[in-house]
Amino acid sequence: MASAELGFIAIGAGIAVGLAGIGTGMAQKDIGAAAVGAITEDPKMLGKALMFMVLPETIVIFGLVIAILACFVLPGMA
Amino acid sequence: MFLPESMSRIVIVGANSCIDETIEALYDLENIHLIDHTVDADEGFTLGTPRPYSPKTAERLLKVRGMEKDLGINKHTKTQPISESEIRSQITSDSVETIQSEVQVVMDKRNDLNQRITDLNAKKKSLELLARLPIDLDMYSGYKSIVGIVGRVEKDPTQALAGMGEVFVSLNKKEGNIVAVFVKNDDRQKAQTILSEHGFNEIQVPEGTGPVKDALAAIDNELEAANKDMEVVQKEIDDLFEKHKATLRAYDEELAVEAEKGTLPIRIATSEYTFVIDAWVPENEAQKAKETIEAKVSGVYVEIEETRSRKQHESDEAEDRFKTAPTKMRHGKITKLFEYPTKMMSIPKYNEVDPTVLIAIFLPLFFGFMVGDVGYAIPFIILGAYGLKFAKNPDWRAIATVLFFGGIWAFIFGFFFFGEALGMHFIGEYKEGAVTYTWAGLLHLDNLHNFFGQFLMNTHGVGKIEAEYVGLLLRLSVYIGILHLGIGYILAIYNKTVQHGFLHGFLEKGGQFLIFIGVVLVGFALGFMLIMEGKLDEPLIFFGIDISVFWHFTNETLLAVLGAGAGFIVVGSIILAKAEGAMQILVELPDTFGIILSYTRLVAIGMSKAGMALAFNYIALGMFAGISPDPSIAGNNGIIMIILALLVFAVLQLMIWTLAILSGGLHALRLQLVEFMIRFYEGDGIEFNPLKFKHVKTISDIKVKEA
Repeated sequence: MASAELGFIAIGAGIAVGLAGIGTGMAQKDIGAAAVGAITEDPKMLGKALMFMVLPETIVIFGLVIAILACFVLPGMA
Repeated sequence: MFLPESMSRIVIVGANSCIDETIEALYDLENIHLIDHTVDADEGFTLGTPRPYSPKTAERLLKVRGMEKDLGINKHTKTQPISESEIRSQITSDSVETIQSEVQVVMDKRNDLNQRITDLNAKKKSLELLARLPIDLDMYSGYKSIVGIVGRVEKDPTQALAGMGEVFVSLNKKEGNIVAVFVKNDDRQKAQTILSEHGFNEIQVPEGTGPVKDALAAIDNELEAANKDMEVVQKEIDDLFEKHKATLRAYDEELAVEAEKGTLPIRIATSEYTFVIDAWVPENEAQKAKETIEAKVSGVYVEIEETRSRKQHESDEAEDRFKTAPTKMRHGKITKLFEYPTKMMSIPKYNEVDPTVLIAIFLPLFFGFMVGDVGYAIPFIILGAYGLKFAKNPDWRAIATVLFFGGIWAFIFGFFFFGEALGMHFIGEYKEGAVTYTWAGLLHLDNLHNFFGQFLMNTHGVGKIEAEYVGLLLRLSVYIGILHLGIGYILAIYNKTVQHGFLHGFLEKGGQFLIFIGVVLVGFALGFMLIMEGKLDEPLIFFGIDISVFWHFTNETLLAVLGAGAGFIVVGSIILAKAEGAMQILVELPDTFGIILSYTRLVAIGMSKAGMALAFNYIALGMFAGISPDPSIAGNNGIIMIILALLVFAVLQLMIWTLAILSGGLHALRLQLVEFMIRFYEGDGIEFNPLKFKHVKTISDIKVKEA
């Protein structure tokens, strides 16, 4: 495989993880602020707050899966 | 099977004269969940009033708690438990009052002494300031025509006061400036105005005669005497602490019990001569409870009103206060540890499956799969076992539970499947980009090859970040997810079947299940047709057998699977549209796809940790220790660099290990609470909360009798 093609695949994988990460970050920003507020009111909320914090991480995991597929599976198909 | 314990509702009726005995009997049974009476629910009945002994008990409890505070006794104070009957007889013979008068005397002494020491110290402070002026104590006052003003100042007022009278100043930045001014009575106002401009703050001159130094010495003597007295009193307090700590703790517990028993009537229905108690009892203990109460208390009748079935309509038709039967979860010693995540969501309803057992299976499994490394697993197991043995706080216990059982799974996966410890394979031939450092290569242990070669796949185990295995791992995580979600969907139908019958259950929740099966089949067929061309790319040698042949499909088979999947989706959509409206199909289809893919985090998180470990191992072993991943090339760095490398290695590995707790634990939990439980779990039940006491500082009379 030409190195240019590999480079494009790498860029694609990077964009997938990067954009998904930004999406997750935007969602977690709001949840995190609210979670800190809730924990300040009642430290017992820590468990629940952590749960809510990781909810949007699904988005970045989708991005990661696409990136993994792009890096490992695409070169094999070409 | 997984449903909470079946409950019966009982009614206890009796004459008011035997209410105390009845309350005792209820507490002794330890399985009576009281139903609070609501005002005006039954004609002729009102809420009861506290028992006559209640105010006295409350007063004594207050006294005991006050004494505990004075003597510094708290729940961490270690004491021997005392038998309940002993404590009761002591309380009735007014021993609380006796102890209180004893403690009060000492406490009064201590307070007086404290006051005296404070006064003396204040006096000493003023005297210390005055000692810097050359004036005797008796010369500060007692004049007819002049007045003495003494105090602290911020600036030297000598110049401003010049000509008004005599001024004595002692300046000292550290201890403060002191001034004594003697002016004519008429000039007093004027002098004070000037002084206040210099930041004046008057102090009282202590009474006395002679030089200040002598007075200071006298005060010191008094202070010393007072402190000695204080030591004596403190000793007395310590003695009281030792003497009464066990009894006071026991009184506290016993009186709290009595106070609760005394106020129990305000939760039940009473008329002028009778009382009625409604309560829930586990079905299999209801008959025994009836017999026990009737045998213990004559003049009381117990009726088993109903045994609540799981049918929802039965609960809906009941009176408001009897609508919800309490949930008593049925768990053994180990599954009980996993009640915490269930409760974090909510208490299960009386007529739905309690998912704790499933969480107990899958939560550690997922955690173990994500960690999948012997080197991280062993500290997890040790830490978890330590936490389970010593931790008392429920949060820590929950974490220790996951670490221990998850650690065991991590060990199993790490040993048999991934063949890894601390991010390095045990064995394997050096292969650029796939197998780098191995334990066998690092430690020159060729025997490891013979041992691990027997069971590890493809000579070195599954590599988490090896291109060949990424597909396999992704598929595996999706299969695990499908199994997990499948259980969730089936439980959803089961719950509704239990509540409303199968037809209702299937029509309400079956649509989602069929769509789920359809999406799985379509995904499977499309994946194999488009990406893998009908077969697995890599051979999977496991115990000498190539198991990849089981993943070999012809185009016809895949097309049939695709068709079947589409069929499931269509039928499921029709059922779903009937149950929740056509719009729901648009939500359900992508959602199903999304939640299945969500399980790929099992691999993604494992990969991210393996990637970090790979990089860190290169840094520590390659850069610092100068060891090449290829064991045939000898290392060339000195001993100091090797020590440094070990340090770097330890710090970096510790970082991965800590991250593994956070990401592994949280994501394993999240898969349970979000992906899994949302399929079927409703929660919002009431926890079974029987009338009973935990004896800590007292020994229950029943236990004494049994012994």
